[in-house]
Parts: sequence; structure tokens; C-alpha cells
Amino acid sequence: MKKLNKRLLRMIKNTKGQFFAVLSIIITGLFIFTAVNNSAMNLRDSLNSYYSITNFADIFVTAAGIPESIEREIEGRENIREADVRLSIDTRFITDNEDERITVKAVSVDGKESKINKLFIKEGRYSLTGNEVILIDQFAVAREINVGDEIRLSLNGREHKFKVSAIASSPEYVYLMESEQVLLPDPGNFGVVFIEEDYLRKISGSRYFNEIVLTVNNYEQINKTKDQLEDFLKKYGVVRVLDRNEQLSNSVMQEEIGGLETVSRSIPIVFLLFAGIMLANMLSRTVKRDRTSIGVLKAMGLTDNEIIIHYLKYAASVGILGGLLGSIIGTATSGAMTGLYLEFFNIPMLRVKIYYQRIIVSVLLSLIFCVGAGFWGVRSIIRINPAESMKPEVPKSGKRVFLENIQFLWDRFTFSWRMVWRNIFREKRKFILIAAAVAITTGLMMMTMWMNEIMDVMFVKHYTDFMKMEYNIGFNGFQDKRVINEIKEYINYSDMEGRIEFPFEIKNGRNSKIVTVIGIEEDTVFYDFHDLEGNRLKIPKDGILLSSNLAEALKASKGDKIILKSYVPDSEEKYVTVAGVLVQSLGINGYMDIDYMNREFLHKGIINGVYINSKDDVKAKLNDVKNITSIQTQGDMQKIFEEFSGLIVAYMGFMVIFSGMLGFVILYSMTLMSINERTLEFSSLRVMGFTKQEIFRMLMKENSVMSLLGIIAGIPLGKWLVNYIGVMFSTDIYTIQGVLTLKEIVPAIILTIIFIISAQLMTYVKIHKLDFMQALKSRIS
Amino acid sequence: MRDIVLRIENLSKYYQMGEVRVKALENVSFEVEKGEFIVILGPSGSGKSTLLNIIGGMDTPSGGNVYFDGELISNYSDRELTMYRRYKIGFVFQFYNLMATLTAKENVELVAEITGSKVNVEEVMEAVGLGDRSDHFPSQMSGGEQQRVAIARAVAKNPDILLCDEPTGALDFETGISILKVLKDVNVKYKNTVIVITHNSPIAQMADKVIKMRSGNITEIIINENPIEPEGIEW
Repeated sequence: MKKLNKRLLRMIKNTKGQFFAVLSIIITGLFIFTAVNNSAMNLRDSLNSYYSITNFADIFVTAAGIPESIEREIEGRENIREADVRLSIDTRFITDNEDERITVKAVSVDGKESKINKLFIKEGRYSLTGNEVILIDQFAVAREINVGDEIRLSLNGREHKFKVSAIASSPEYVYLMESEQVLLPDPGNFGVVFIEEDYLRKISGSRYFNEIVLTVNNYEQINKTKDQLEDFLKKYGVVRVLDRNEQLSNSVMQEEIGGLETVSRSIPIVFLLFAGIMLANMLSRTVKRDRTSIGVLKAMGLTDNEIIIHYLKYAASVGILGGLLGSIIGTATSGAMTGLYLEFFNIPMLRVKIYYQRIIVSVLLSLIFCVGAGFWGVRSIIRINPAESMKPEVPKSGKRVFLENIQFLWDRFTFSWRMVWRNIFREKRKFILIAAAVAITTGLMMMTMWMNEIMDVMFVKHYTDFMKMEYNIGFNGFQDKRVINEIKEYINYSDMEGRIEFPFEIKNGRNSKIVTVIGIEEDTVFYDFHDLEGNRLKIPKDGILLSSNLAEALKASKGDKIILKSYVPDSEEKYVTVAGVLVQSLGINGYMDIDYMNREFLHKGIINGVYINSKDDVKAKLNDVKNITSIQTQGDMQKIFEEFSGLIVAYMGFMVIFSGMLGFVILYSMTLMSINERTLEFSSLRVMGFTKQEIFRMLMKENSVMSLLGIIAGIPLGKWLVNYIGVMFSTDIYTIQGVLTLKEIVPAIILTIIFIISAQLMTYVKIHKLDFMQALKSRIS
Repeated sequence: MRDIVLRIENLSKYYQMGEVRVKALENVSFEVEKGEFIVILGPSGSGKSTLLNIIGGMDTPSGGNVYFDGELISNYSDRELTMYRRYKIGFVFQFYNLMATLTAKENVELVAEITGSKVNVEEVMEAVGLGDRSDHFPSQMSGGEQQRVAIARAVAKNPDILLCDEPTGALDFETGISILKVLKDVNVKYKNTVIVITHNSPIAQMADKVIKMRSGNITEIIINENPIEPEGIEW
């Protein structure tokens, strides 16, 4: 039907404003879907192939002292494929700036290639002899170290010089973090260096190894294998046994990819739903307007199906075009988006693939949504009787609108306000759609503002309100508590307390979790704990405080008895009472009285770090103190967060534009539709002496009333979204909690209003161009 | 032997309006011969449009029979009625009802396309006097020109019957006459049966047969032995 197709093309041309409005929403939805989903797939595919090429370990064991012979013993055990023992020591990276305290983990590797967790050489060669080392890529880039450069490390209080023979990536450090307590990568201040095994043992004086990495034959039996290993290695002082999913870098990656997949599935559906509703509304109005034409087509002998298909082609063309453009733009930008992630993740073999299937899925998804919505809109074609359609439509029975029954109120409205209210009540569906779009826009804006605020609040709150130490000093292993006195001699301080940060396996029934439990003074000045109701919590003399995400993971609550196991050789599992659940925005931890911890699980009078508040330059003053491996300051953490916040700002910008666009496009297209349908009404008003501005103001009033309702409805919606995000995106690293305050609500509403006003102003152009007088004369169907 | 294209037998149509049963047609019977030019004359509310709609397969009767070429069409299903409209009937409406987004020629081609008719569209456009206005959109044409397009559109499928509902109702006298002339020319040239319904009695002078209606009944059927040319009509 070439001529009907021509009619369709001209119909699209005549309604281009609305057509492009729906199209832009679909494009946006599918752009988000493909860009985010492709990025997730790119990351997952690349990560998996990286893991496969480098033979990434399935199990990571940390122990006190492991003999080399254990490697062969373990390899013969059930489900173990390969095992590799290694030595891992925290060293201090020496720079010309004496104030800098940089930790570099020295990890032993074979002189030739390792069999597990193989390094991916980016520059230089893999051949280690003597003092030659391989440096982790991120650290080398951040510190501008090249192959052939010399680096200095302090090991056991002695300075050693090394020559960088290669720069490499490691599957263990895709996300380079020192520990789960650090939360964000800081490649300039934490690095990894790979040293030939015998040489590292020689210079560190270590007879034993302290880590084993293993691969298994069947990952599904991983828990059983872990338990067996734990028993077998008990005598070597197992500190922790982690599987691949618990390994820090990999768990962050999996959570990040999972988060991307969730976003890619949920947000596009909102956009497609709105596009569908708009399309259904648009087509149902078109059918209403084309009633006579449809009657004529039926009189000519076209069947209902042929006419329905004619109109559905409109929906299908939006769907196909939107699906194609959205997915193509999404695919094209997914490379850049994946690149943005590479600022944080180091996957050397990242390949940006074009997922043709995704484009087909996008087009099909969009086509199904649009044709489905279109059918909903045009189904009334079946009811049009050709003979009846030639006659003018019987006007709707003019009922009083609800507000007219409230005489007191109605009498106070001016003539134009009465028209506004009548139009709103008579076109409920259209106005509900406008209100819903404005509500979604407001809700998404609020969520965006809140996320920006909450990330800031989470960090500031964590590092100023929750943790109050200016310095967190880490030792190389446990030290006698009296080491504090030595440190006190070096610096002037206002507060100083010893602390223990030590991994424990915590079990509650079937649920278990390996986390760092922190032992602190009962009357500590370095932490401020509050329960979920906001009441202050104190460290109990016995028992444990759990962070809320840990309590949730263990399904434990106050008063429950949970099992703690320390991994210290010969230590036994012990029941400990949960003394309270506390609010902690970053990290996942348990907290105990340090004396209780020592007494029950470790040895009396030991610590593995200190917290300090001091006006002194602690980094510089403690630089040469033996056995100090790390000095973390609040300033460092703040700096890392500021770097990270670039990503948040980019994300925020996208969200503000997308959510604003949704409101803008729907309001604009619905108003355009209104103008097209009410040309006769407006013409009559013009004849009566109304100016174009007065007619525009009337439309403004109608939209403003519904927008206001939308904004009001958007506030609880925003609250719901915020709770949803809190539940969906809370991980072991972040616990996203927080309430919406005026600080987020007000800017969100202001931004929404700006988009609404812009959409209104755009429609004024249309009103100004309309030839009202011509409309009164026209009788063409 | 008479060649009957349409036979109406005891046709009735009632509408239920709430609790009231409204009579639109009652016991209407007549026959139409192939190639005849028929005028159905009657005031507003006489049932002529209802009759036209039933003949055109756009409505169904409450009682009685309609035979087209000897075949009972009043029992047709929706689908059969659609095909009947597609291939047998051409409509011309009072308010033209052209597709606003198609040019004059495209409006005509649309029908030719639907029916697969081999009619030469240019020739039909010439026949209705619109050869030079083919590429204009309806909004760029006068009422008379639009009605010519509507006639061309109806003729393009080469229908057996051309049904015209008040074709001159929205036009001034001169334009109205020119439209009647086109209808007569089409009737002669393409040998289509033409049925015109109107309330304008002078038009009856050009018909071969005049069917007068009032309140849903046929009051008189007049065979016009000497139909006059449209140019001779005056009102």
C-alpha cells in the first residue's frame, strides 16, 4: 500500500514534534540499556578471559608460616588442581620526600612465569634475577616509574635497591586496594612489586611462606574444599581462607558489574514504559481525530486489520528507529564508558566488542513495546462505524466537574481558571500522564541529588564523625602493647590508643562472613558509635558490636550469640554475644574491647597498630620507626574521594539530563497534542478577543496544576527510589543509608521546574505560529 | 430483458434510542437497473442516508433483503461486506472526506491500489476536469475541486454502483451543476450505475428514475422518460 505508506510518512512529518519526543525517550532508554549493559558485558567478558589467561586462583590462603613442601602435599588433595606458595610482605616505598609513607606489597614469584595468578607483562621482560623486580602497572603509572628505573624499598628496617625489569598487571589487583578498610584505590600510595622468590626470602630472612594460592577442579565444591584446607593447614597458623568471590579486587569487580547490570535492566524499562504510554495516548488521539478518514477507508473497502496495521506502522517506525538509534549510539559510547571504568579497573586485555545480538534485542524490545502500546491506542478503530463516522461526533455530555460542586471555591475562580479546571477533569488521562512524568522526573532528580550528597556525607561522616583518628598506624604484625611508649617519644600527641585490626570468621547458623574485627579501648576517643535509632553505643566489656551490613549478612541482631574464629593457630571457636548493631556507612566490621579480644582470641597485651590525634607531622616523624608498615591519614582518604568524585559528577550530569529530558519531552509533546486537538476551541477564543498570550497562559495554568501535583507526588516517589537504591546498591564496601532532606529536595524541584518551564516555552512557538482563523474554515478530514 | 443490478425487498431499519425504537426505514422495495442514474429524493430524516448506507454495505438492515447482482448481500458477514465495498461500490460524500495528507492524484491512486484496478488514473483525473490540479493537496483546492477528486476516487476502482450522498450539498449552484455534469459524464462514459441522494428536488430532473422518500417510506417511484442535461437544471 504505497499510498497509505506515503500518508504515514506525511503523518510522521506533520506530527514530528511528538514523533521525535517519543523517539528521544526510546533512544535514551535503549542508549542506557546498551551502553551500560555492553559496558558490563565488556567488563565481564574481559575479566573472565583475563582470569582464564592468567589462571586466576580460586582459593587464597593466608597463614603464619608455610613450608615449601606443602605445595606438593596440597596438590594431591581432593578437588585441588594446582597450588603455589608465596611470600607476601608489606614494605615501605622510599622516595625523596621523607614525609611520604607509601606501602608496597612485595610478593614472591618464580624467576620464570608463575603457574597461578600469572602476571600480564605490559612493558619489559619477565626474567627475574637478583634485585630485578616487576612493578604493578597502576603504581608505575601513578609514580611515573619506567622499565629500567631503580626503586628503593625498606624491608625489615633496611633499605634495598631494585631495578624494574618489567611493568605488569595482575589479576589479583584489577582494583588496586590495600585492604577492605581503605575502600577506594589509591595507586600513588599503594603498590605491588613482584620479586624473585629466593631473593625475597633471602632479604626478608623468611624461612617460610605465608600465602598459598590454589586452583580447583570443581568450583561448585569450593566451600567443602575450603573447610578441608582450613583443617589441613591449621598447624601452619591459617589466618584466612578466601574463595575467589571473597577476594577483594574480584568482589569489588563483581559488585560493580552486577550494579551495572541492575541499572541497565531497570532504568530503560521506565523510559520504555513512558514512551509506550505516550505512544498509546498519541495514537488513540490520532484515531479519534482521523475518525472520518478511517470511516472513508472502511467505506473504500479496507478491512479493520489493514487500517490497524496502517496506524501500527507509525508505532513500529518509532520502535525500530528508536531501537536502532538507541542501541547504535549506546554501542558506540559503551567503549568510552568502559574506558571510564578503566580509570579504576586495570584489565589489560579489555576488548570493546560490538554485541550485534544486543542491537537486535534492543530493536525487538522497542518494537514489541511500541507495537503493543500502539495497538492499545488504535484498538478503537474496530469500533468505528463507517456510516456513523461521516456524521459529526456527538459531543460528550457536559457534566459538571467535581470542583463545581464546591460552590464556595468555584465562585472564586475566574473564567479562565474555570476552563482550566474543566479541561483537567475532562482529560484526566492526559493530565495523569503529565503528572506521572513530572513525578518521575522529580523523583529521579531527588535520587540523583541524594546520591551525590550521600556519597559526600558517607565519606565525611565516616572519616570525621564515625572515625575520629587523624592517623591510623599499621605495624608489621603484632607488637607488644608497650610499643606505644616508644611512639610517644617521637611525637607530641593529644590522643593515642593501641588497636587491633584482625580478620575473623564470624558464623551465625548457616550464615558466615570473614571480616576484620577491630579491637579498641573501652573508652575510646577514636570512634563514635550509634545504633540504628541514633542512640550512642559504647564498646562492651565483653561481646561484640556489628556494623549493620554485617548484622544483615549474618542475620544477627542484638542479644544473639554468634561464633567467632580467629585463625590464630590452636585457637578455638567461641560464642560471643552481639551487644549492639551500629550504623557504619563505609566498610563491614565488628568491634570489640581490645582487652576482651586479646583475652579470648589472641594473646594478652598485643596490638597491631595505633590511632593517633596529633598536630605533628606524624608521617615524617615516624618515618624511620621500625615495624611500621602503613600510616594512613584522613587527608589521604579525602584526596582519594575527591578523585573518585569525578565519576560521580559525570554520573550525576547524565542522570539530571536524562530525567529532565523525560519530563520535558512528555510535557512538550502532550501540550503539542493539546494544541492540535483544540485548535477550534482556541480559534473561538481568538474570535472572542483572547490574545495568543492569554491562550498560552491558559495552557500554562493547566500544565502547571498537573506539574505541581507531579512534583508533590514525586517527593514520596523520590523517597522510595532512595530506599530502593539503599537496598540494591549497599555492598560490603558501602552501606547506603540516609534520608532525603530539603538540601536534596529543593534543588531537585528547582531543576524539575526549569525543565517544565523550558518545555512550556517551546510550546509557545507552536501557539504563535498557529493560524486560528484558518482552523475555523477547515473541513478536510 | 432488464439487467437488474440491485433489488431491495421490504427493507426496514430501526434504531434503539434508550427505550424508544426509532424507525429509519420501513418496507422499502425497489429495483435498480445496470447503468441507471437514480435520484433518491427526500427531506432530512426521510431515511435516504440510511438506505444509501445499507446499499453501500456500511450498515445492515433490521429486516428485508438487499440483492446485488442476484446475490443476497444483507446477510453478508463484516468481511464479505468489506470486500463488497472494496470491489463493487464507490462513494461520494457531501463533505468530500479526502485524505488531507495525500495529493488529489494520490487520493485517487490509493483506491486503485486497494482494489488492484487497472484504471488509468490520469485519464480519470482528466475526465473530472482536474488534469492540471493533480498534485495539489485538498487544502489547496476549492470545494468543487475537492468533490471532483472524490468522484474520481470513487470512479477509479470502476465500481458497479456509485453512491453519492448529497454531492452538491456543500457547494454553490454553479459548482453543484458542474459536479452533477461530472457524475452524468461518468455514468455515460464508464457505464456505472449512479445513485444520488439529495433533498434538492430540481436534481431529480436529470435522473432516469426518481425515488421519493418521506419518514422512512418510499412515497413514489417515478420513471423519467426524458431526463435533462445537468446544465438545464436550476434551483
